[in-house]
Amino acid sequence: MIARLGLLTPPATQPDALGTVLLVLVTPLVMGALAAIWRPRRGWPIAALALLPLASLMVLSQEVLASGGQAWLIELGTLTLHWRANGLTLLLLWLTQVVTLASVAYAPAYLRVEIGDQGEQRWLWPLQGLLLSSLSLIWLAADLLSLYIGLELMGLTAVGLMLLPGKVEALVAGMRYLLLALVGSLAFLLGVALLLGAWARLDLGGLAMAAEEGMVLWVAVALLSAGLLLKAAAFPLHAWLAPVHGSAWTPVSALHAALVVKGSFFIALQLWLVLVPAAHIAAWLVGAMGGGAVVWGGLLAWRATKLKDVVAWSTVSQLGYLLLGFSLMIGTAPQVAEVAWEGTWLQLVAHSLAKAGMFLATGNLIFSTGESHVKGLAGASCRMPLSLLSFGIASISLIGLPPSAGFTAKWLLLHAALEAGYWLWLAVLALGTLLGAAYIFRVFRYSFVEDAEPPEARRVPWSMELLALGLAMASLLLGLVAEWPLTLLRTAGGGA
Amino acid sequence: MPPLLDALLALIMVALAALTLLDRQLVRACVWFVAFALAVSLTWLSEGFLWLAMLEAVLGATFTGAFLFYSLGIGPGAAKPRGRLARWHDPLPLPLTWRRAVLRLLPALAVLGMLALALAGFIEVPGPLRLGGMGLIFMGLWAFALHRHLLRRLLAFNVIGTGIFLIMMALVRNSSPAAGHGLVITGLLVALLGTALGALLIRRINGLDASREPATDVAERGSG
Repeated sequence: MIARLGLLTPPATQPDALGTVLLVLVTPLVMGALAAIWRPRRGWPIAALALLPLASLMVLSQEVLASGGQAWLIELGTLTLHWRANGLTLLLLWLTQVVTLASVAYAPAYLRVEIGDQGEQRWLWPLQGLLLSSLSLIWLAADLLSLYIGLELMGLTAVGLMLLPGKVEALVAGMRYLLLALVGSLAFLLGVALLLGAWARLDLGGLAMAAEEGMVLWVAVALLSAGLLLKAAAFPLHAWLAPVHGSAWTPVSALHAALVVKGSFFIALQLWLVLVPAAHIAAWLVGAMGGGAVVWGGLLAWRATKLKDVVAWSTVSQLGYLLLGFSLMIGTAPQVAEVAWEGTWLQLVAHSLAKAGMFLATGNLIFSTGESHVKGLAGASCRMPLSLLSFGIASISLIGLPPSAGFTAKWLLLHAALEAGYWLWLAVLALGTLLGAAYIFRVFRYSFVEDAEPPEARRVPWSMELLALGLAMASLLLGLVAEWPLTLLRTAGGGA
Repeated sequence: MPPLLDALLALIMVALAALTLLDRQLVRACVWFVAFALAVSLTWLSEGFLWLAMLEAVLGATFTGAFLFYSLGIGPGAAKPRGRLARWHDPLPLPLTWRRAVLRLLPALAVLGMLALALAGFIEVPGPLRLGGMGLIFMGLWAFALHRHLLRRLLAFNVIGTGIFLIMMALVRNSSPAAGHGLVITGLLVALLGTALGALLIRRINGLDASREPATDVAERGSG
């Protein structure tokens, strides 16, 4: 598993190899700052300029794929940072860039038609750039200091993004989120302090070799996991998620649900695989938490009255599938772990694309009807078929129906659970699928009420419609070409 | 510095933290916090961490203190606090009963127990730093669970953070001080940014609240 994470790759010897990685990290910051000065009014200049970070990522991909995984050492005086890139890193970097690009391109039209001149719009652009960079740092980091820096940057940026609407509800929700993010980071830091004190190193590859089972390791992992799972809104630490989304801007919600919670999850899973790769009982407990999340999140989404709450609680449910991966990858037979490894990352990618598309489609529906409740959608089907279509396509992947990527991912997880003999997880997967269908069809039931007074529908700008549809289609079509991401995972340092 | 003075300094630091967390007047609590940060800075100095002492004095005492007073509406231009959040006498929003105080103690005790178990393996760690840090973490966690007010929780967060920094440097001072410095400096910056964000939030909510609904206290309701 450590080899799959790319932590055994020998670091590059020539110092100039760092250029491309720095370019990938810095370009979003520069573009965010530029966009704060000349605020974009249309989506197309953003799409054109976004070719720059995409091009730098393309160059990095070629370098990494050519050598089958790369690692870098960054010397800062006596301090050494470790970064690495392999197939998994590339997959996550591409996902982050695509989702961020879609949400950034969605923003100008959204701000123009829905928000007007309220809120702190100037800050949206640099914060989005910062979020992209900090997430990229998290994917690339192979030592605890880089991870800590990335995690904190990501957390504070996410809080800042939530505060932008400037209304009392947004500020109160943001305040709660700030406190929770700060508590999570304290727990993380204390765990890191124990690890550093015990084994005097921060690089994950070295820690994997040096760490010995014992009280220190257990307490450190418990603290690290508690902080990270709180930030990842893992059941039962999920209650903060929906209020935070309730008053946030739509593109911000999309970014948060698709990427920010995944950042914490990724760090947690990586640390478990590195530090306690055989702790199957503890991992089973995390998996049980995941099972609880799938069921409870589904129930909450089913009972929610607001449209945004349905989508937010469904995030809790879908993250539960990722937590199941803990129990299937840690302390299980190699063939089980291999299937679960692919299923988990595919589920992460599928959910990110589908959830971002769904949030954008939901934003379109809310903008068009001016109604934030599910019941307010009555009669929506004849007025805004395209937004509903995007919502529907995204939900195919969320529920896990073929041929979507969500289906393939859940199929792989099911396969792994069968092989490992965790029969309980089969019930969880079945129940999660049923609940997913229940809360999605509840939305559709209201929107297809034909005899209701059709709501006053405002016309949604075509760029907003297209971006929502594009993300939703991506999550669907990825299922047809699921071999691509899986091949990327297997090659480029992912083998062994 | 002789060990007796070290112990005395740690004791003063913990006492100042207790005053910060439990003083009933918010403004006075913030003044105690600045004194606490200066005591922490002295502790770093006596342990030989010159850089951390300077950073703690600049980031912890000066900037964080400035943001705290800003959130209370006290600045060079206005000596008296403005707004309802900055009531000169700030009664605890909920009456502090024994039952509540003891119940809120449980999470802090749990973390303290775990930490003591983990730290039992490290023998050569200097006493004042370790005990001082654990005391700070314990009190901070208790105060964080006890209080509802955002500003008090920010104070508690800063105290817990300081406790973690002390333990971290005590653990790594001989083995890998460079990595410890990197982590602590990042942590100090994060604490400052978090406090600044919280201070701005308090001011903004206070402003919106005063102009809209005078009845309830949104900051207390929100962090509940």
